[in-house]
Amino acid sequence: MSADRRARQLDGAIWRAPTEREVDAELEFHVEMLTRELRAAGLSSEAAGAEVQRRFGDIAQASAAARRAATHRDRSMRLTEHLAALRSDVAHALRLLRRAPGFTIVAVLTLALGIGANSAIFSVVNGVVLKPLGYPEPDRLMFINSQFPTLGFDEFWVSPPEFFEYRERTQAFGEIGAYTTGAVNLMSDGAAPERVNAVALSASMFDVLGVRPMLGRPFTAAEDLPNAESVVVLGYDLWRRAFGGDPTVIGRRVQIQGHPETVVGVMPPGFDLHDAKAQLWRPLGLDPASRENRGSHFLNLVGRLASGASEASARTELRGLLSRWGEVAPGRHAPNDSTHRLQLEPLRDNVIGGVRTALWVLQGAVGLVLLIACANMANLLLARAETRHKEFAIRAALGAGRGHVLRQFLVEGIVLALLGAAVGLALAHWGLRALLALNPESVPRAADIGLDPLVLAFTAGIALLTGAMFGLAPLLHVRERTLSGALREGGTRSTGTAGRARLRNGLAVAEVALAVMLVVGAGLLLRSFWKLTRVDAGFDRSELVTFGLVLPDATYPEPQMRARMLGDLTTRLRQTPGVEEVAAMTGLPPAREVNANDTEFEGIEQQPGGPPQNVDYYQSTTEDYFRTMRIPIVRGRGFTATDVGGPPVVVINETLARTFYPDQDPVGRRLRPPFGDSIPWFTIVGVAADVKQGGVDAKTGTELYFLYDHGPRYVGFAPSELNIVLRSPRSLGALLPAVRQAVGELDRSLPLVQPRTMDEVFGDSLTRQRFLSQLLAIFAGVALLLAAVGTYGILGYMVNERRREIGIRMALGAGRGQVLRMVLRQGLAIAAAGIVLGLVAALALSRVASSLLYGVSPADPLTFVVVAAAIGVVALAACLLPARRATRVDPLVAMQVD
Amino acid sequence: MPAARDSLHGTLDALVLKTLSWGPRHGYAIANWIAETSGDAIRIEEGSLYPALYRLERQGLIIAEWGVSELGRKARFYRLTPAGRRQLRAEVEGFRRFVAAVSPILLTG
Repeated sequence: MSADRRARQLDGAIWRAPTEREVDAELEFHVEMLTRELRAAGLSSEAAGAEVQRRFGDIAQASAAARRAATHRDRSMRLTEHLAALRSDVAHALRLLRRAPGFTIVAVLTLALGIGANSAIFSVVNGVVLKPLGYPEPDRLMFINSQFPTLGFDEFWVSPPEFFEYRERTQAFGEIGAYTTGAVNLMSDGAAPERVNAVALSASMFDVLGVRPMLGRPFTAAEDLPNAESVVVLGYDLWRRAFGGDPTVIGRRVQIQGHPETVVGVMPPGFDLHDAKAQLWRPLGLDPASRENRGSHFLNLVGRLASGASEASARTELRGLLSRWGEVAPGRHAPNDSTHRLQLEPLRDNVIGGVRTALWVLQGAVGLVLLIACANMANLLLARAETRHKEFAIRAALGAGRGHVLRQFLVEGIVLALLGAAVGLALAHWGLRALLALNPESVPRAADIGLDPLVLAFTAGIALLTGAMFGLAPLLHVRERTLSGALREGGTRSTGTAGRARLRNGLAVAEVALAVMLVVGAGLLLRSFWKLTRVDAGFDRSELVTFGLVLPDATYPEPQMRARMLGDLTTRLRQTPGVEEVAAMTGLPPAREVNANDTEFEGIEQQPGGPPQNVDYYQSTTEDYFRTMRIPIVRGRGFTATDVGGPPVVVINETLARTFYPDQDPVGRRLRPPFGDSIPWFTIVGVAADVKQGGVDAKTGTELYFLYDHGPRYVGFAPSELNIVLRSPRSLGALLPAVRQAVGELDRSLPLVQPRTMDEVFGDSLTRQRFLSQLLAIFAGVALLLAAVGTYGILGYMVNERRREIGIRMALGAGRGQVLRMVLRQGLAIAAAGIVLGLVAALALSRVASSLLYGVSPADPLTFVVVAAAIGVVALAACLLPARRATRVDPLVAMQVD
Repeated sequence: MPAARDSLHGTLDALVLKTLSWGPRHGYAIANWIAETSGDAIRIEEGSLYPALYRLERQGLIIAEWGVSELGRKARFYRLTPAGRRQLRAEVEGFRRFVAAVSPILLTG
C-alpha cells in the first residue's frame, strides 16, 4: 500500500472526500507560498491577495478543475491496482493448482461433469423451449385443429370444408393455411429413388408463415387447385444434396410418386413446418367450392393473427363461430362448442408439446448433479484450506485484510470453476452431438439445439456462481481469530474442529440425499419405460420384419394393377426361404396416422349425444393379415382366401363392437364406407382383438378392416402406400437381399422404405421415453459416483484426523474389528441420514413428473426400496476402504506428536 | 515531431518531467523553477499546473508523496518514475529532431 493511501486513510474527520481534501490542502500550500513570495517582494497583504487571485484565474474554477483531475486520477489508479491484484491472485491460484495436480484433475473433472451436463441440457431447453420459431413474428402464429371431447380425442384434424369456412368467416386471423405431412417417392435424374418427407400445403400458407423461397417463387392459388399443373418447391438441404445446389433447377421437372412435377422454387435453409423435417413442399390441391367431404379430417391449420387481434380475441371469435357454425353447414358434422370443437394455441406450444415437462425435469436433475459436485468441491477445498492456514496467517500478518483473503478465495474458486466449465463445454458439445445422433426423433426442433451465445452466457453464469459458492465455503472456518491462533499453535488443530466436522458431514449427507433423489427419479422412469416396452399391442411382434412400399399412380394407374402387384409380391415373398407368412396392410401399428372416415351403420340411427358415426382407423389388408400378425379373432372369423373373389366383407375391432354394438352380436350386421353412392353394404364377418394404433401409451380407437382386393372391385380405389410384414425366424439382414430381389423382379423402381424388425418399430415409437430415461440414468449414475467419492473422501479425511485417537485406542487394547466398526458406524450414519432425507424429498418431488410415468405410481414402493438398498450398498463400499485404512494405523506412529 | 497531442499539453508535460529529473519537488517549486530557468519567459498558469500534475500521475509518469517543505509545512512532493524518465527521453529526443528539422528553414537567410 502506498504511503499516500495510508495517509489518506489516516486523515481527519471532516466529511469531504479524502481526494478533495488533499487537493484543497495542496492548493492551499501553493497559495500560501505564493503569498509569502509576493509579500517578500514588498506587496501589501491586500495586493498580494489580489495578485494571487489574478494568477489563479477564478480560484473556485481552478480548484474545481483540479479536483476533477484528481478524482479521475484516483479512479484510474484504483482500477489499475485492482486489476494488478486480480492478475496476481489469478496467477497465484493457477500456481497452486499446478502444484497439486491430483487435486486439480479431480476438481476440474468433477466440475466439468456438473457444469457440462447443465450446459448440455440448457442448450436443449434453449433450442426447444426458449428459442422462438424461425418465422417473422412467430408469436402471432396459431396452430388450429379440432377436438372431439366425447370421443376422447384431444387433438384431431380438420376437414377441408371446415378449413375453408373458418378462413372465410374469421376476422381475427389475417390469413389461415392448411397442411398435411407425409412422405413421397422422389426420383431425380439418374439418382436412385428415395423417400423424402413432404408437406402438402395450401398456397395461403406461405403468406401465413411469412417466408418466401430464396430461389424462384411459391406456388400460386391457381396452382393449388385439384387439376392444376403439378408444381413443387424444394427444401434447401434436398436442393444441395440431390441437385448440387444448381440454380437452374427452377423450371426443371422431377419425378414425384411417378408424376413429373415442375420445380418452381427453393426454400431457404432451416425452413420447416411443425418439425415435419420436410424437404418437399407441394400444393394441397383442395377445391374451395367442394364442401361435401365434411367427415374427412386430415388437415392441420396454421393462422397468423391479424394486426390488432390477440390470441384471446381469436379464441373469443372462435367460440362465437362454433356456436353459429350450424348456420353455414347444416346437418351432421358441423363444428359446435360441445362435441366437435375447433381449438387454437400458439404454434410453438404445439410444436414443443409435452416435451416441456420432460425438459424441465431434466434441467432440475442436472442442477442436482451440479449441487452434488459443488458439495464435493466445497469439501475438497475445506480440507485443503486447513493445510493452508499457516499461509493465510502469514498473509494476515503482512497486512492482507479479511477482504483480501476473501477475494483470493473467490478467485481460486472461480478459476477452478472456469477451468471446469471450459472442459464441461467441450464435453457438452460432443455429448450432445452423440446423443442426438443416436436418438434423432427424441426431441422436436433438434436443428435448433447448439452452443449459442445464450448457452455460453448461462455456462459462464453458473461457473461464476458455483465458483463463488464453494470458493467461499472454506472461509466459514478461517476467521481472523483462527489466523492469529494458527500462528501460535504447534499442531493441535483443535480450533473449530467440531464445527468443521459438522459442516463436512452435513455436506456429505446432502450429497447422498441428492443422489438418492436422482436415482429414484431414474428408477421410476426406467421402470416406466420398461412397462411401455411390455405393453401388449394386440399382436405378436417377435420374428416379424416389415418394410414400406409405395405403388405410385404413374406406374400403377389402375387400382387392379396395385391389387395384382400385391398378390404377386406376397406370393413371391412367401416362397422366399425362411419366410413363414406374409401380409400387407396400409397402417403400421403401434403408432400410425389416424385415417378416420364417416361410416354408415345399417339399422343404427345417429343419436344426438351419442358417438358420431365415424371410424378412427380404416385398415386395408391382405387375407393373411390376422394370421401373420397373430391377432386373435374373438368372434366370428378373420379373412380367408375365398373372400378374395367374394362378396364385400369387413372385420371390426373390439372397441368398434363395444361402441356401436354394445348389446348385440355384430357378426352379420352391415355397414358402408362414405366413398360414394354406389358403394355396396359390407357385411361384418368377425371381431378382432384390439391393436394399438395411436402409440403404445394411447387408448385404442375404433378400427375397420377391409380386404385390399375389395378396394378396386367395390370402391374403385386401392391405397398406394403400404406396409409389408413377414414372419420369419431369420434375421432382417439375412432376409433383406432375397426380399429386395423379389421386389426388384416385379418392379425395379420401388425402394424398400425403412426395413425394420417389428421390435425396432416398437422401439422407434418409444424413442422419446427411452431418450429421457437413458439420460436420467446417466445423470443418476454420475450423481451416485460423485456422492460415493465424496463420502469416501470425507471418511478418509476423518480417519486421518483421528489417527492419534485411533492409535491410543488400539494401544489401550481395542481390536481391529472395533476400529473398523467405529469408522463404519460414522460412515453409515451419514449414508442413512442421506438416504432417509433423499427418499422423503423424492417422494415429494416425483409427483411433479407424474405425467412422464406410465404404469408406475410416483410413490412406487418397489423402486424406492430397491434404490435405498442399492445406495446403502454403494455407501458401504465407499466406507470400507477408509475403515480398512483405519485398522492399519500403527499406534506407535500415530501417537507421535508432529 | 513530438507526439501528436495538444501541443500546449505536450510542452507543459515535458517541462514538468524535466524539472523533476533534477529531483523531487512540490508543485509550487516546479512552477518557480521553470519560471526562473526560462528567465521568466515561461510562466505556468496556476490553474493548469495541478490538473497537469494529476494527469501525469494517472499516467504513471510521476509519483507523489506527502512530505515536509523547507518551511516545515506539509506539502505534496512529486518524483519521476522509470516510465517518466523514459517518456522524458523520448520528448527531448523528439524536440531535438524538431529543432534540427525546422532550423535550416526558419533560422537561415
